[in-house]
Amino acid sequence: MSDTPNSQNNEQQNKAPGAAANYLMLSAGSIFTSMLVAGFLVGYFLDELFDTRPILMLACALLGFIGGIQKVILLTQRLDHYQPEKGKNDQES
Amino acid sequence: MGTVEYIQHHLTNNTIGEGFWTFNMDTIIVSFLLGALIVFVAARLGKQLETGTPGGFQNFVESILDFVATNVRDAFPGHNPLIAPLALTIFIWVWLMNFMDLIPVDLLPWLFQLITGDSHAYLKVVPTTDLNTTLAMAFTVFALILYYNIKIKGVWGFTKVFLFHPFGKFFVPFNIVMTLIEEVSKPLSLALRLFGNMFAGELVFLLIALIGGTLAVGAAALFWAPLQVLLDLGWLIFHLLVITLQAFIFMVLTIVYLGMAHDEGH
Repeated sequence: MSDTPNSQNNEQQNKAPGAAANYLMLSAGSIFTSMLVAGFLVGYFLDELFDTRPILMLACALLGFIGGIQKVILLTQRLDHYQPEKGKNDQES
Repeated sequence: MGTVEYIQHHLTNNTIGEGFWTFNMDTIIVSFLLGALIVFVAARLGKQLETGTPGGFQNFVESILDFVATNVRDAFPGHNPLIAPLALTIFIWVWLMNFMDLIPVDLLPWLFQLITGDSHAYLKVVPTTDLNTTLAMAFTVFALILYYNIKIKGVWGFTKVFLFHPFGKFFVPFNIVMTLIEEVSKPLSLALRLFGNMFAGELVFLLIALIGGTLAVGAAALFWAPLQVLLDLGWLIFHLLVITLQAFIFMVLTIVYLGMAHDEGH
């Protein structure tokens, strides 16, 4: 009984990333840069709103930078979990 | 015309109006005409559909439909009758707008100058090298993302994403700013990727055109002209892949983002 959730988890982790996930990975670079740019933009508007230039712009840019790295790590982790089954590949080849 | 003026001339839009209300007429007209072409061809094909043995063009269109439907099934959880037609429209329209990049860079501007009689008339024929086009499409997709987020998750459900994601319930102010940045980055990444790739591609075509155009003087043309043809052909074949890939990525990311909006657990 106790094996079931683990094996399900392993199965999920070992599932081939779908085509969509692959294309998200392809755009990991642009997602990272857009998070940084979006951070600057959001910070700029918050600064305008609260008249605190440039504190919030810098703080949000830092948050965007951290979020960008986090997103890229999460995306690439999906590839790490996936290991093609050896027997299946041998059969195919 | 010098090298810099040549490039600047090609990268300047034909505009009317001033300031905020400047309209890039070439972008608007070319993208509208390409959209009309899709509608016209689709309507014409729709009237001549064959159920037995379809002709070559119907086969080709069916293979595109099948390809888009497979991607929607793969990337989109649940069911929404709007997604597949939207994805198909985005894919074909963006591809056609990108395809304008493969028409020789001087041909259409030269024809336009002949027709108007103005030898300095501007014409930028690739709508996706205009940030306004890519941002407009990205904001339309973004509006749909917001709409489906609120429709599927409810106002409170969507607010909860802002309040408790990604750092948990003890960092609410950080979560709000972080989620805001994350949401703003979606249309930005869609628009900037397409614009950047197409603009850079157009610039390389212009630089290759300059090899034969300004560098070749006298007998040197015997060397530079074949080189230009060779480079142009190489870049054209490579760029054919780029324009297809960019249209495809724009389509897939739209499906993925809308899929995330439909995912109640996200």
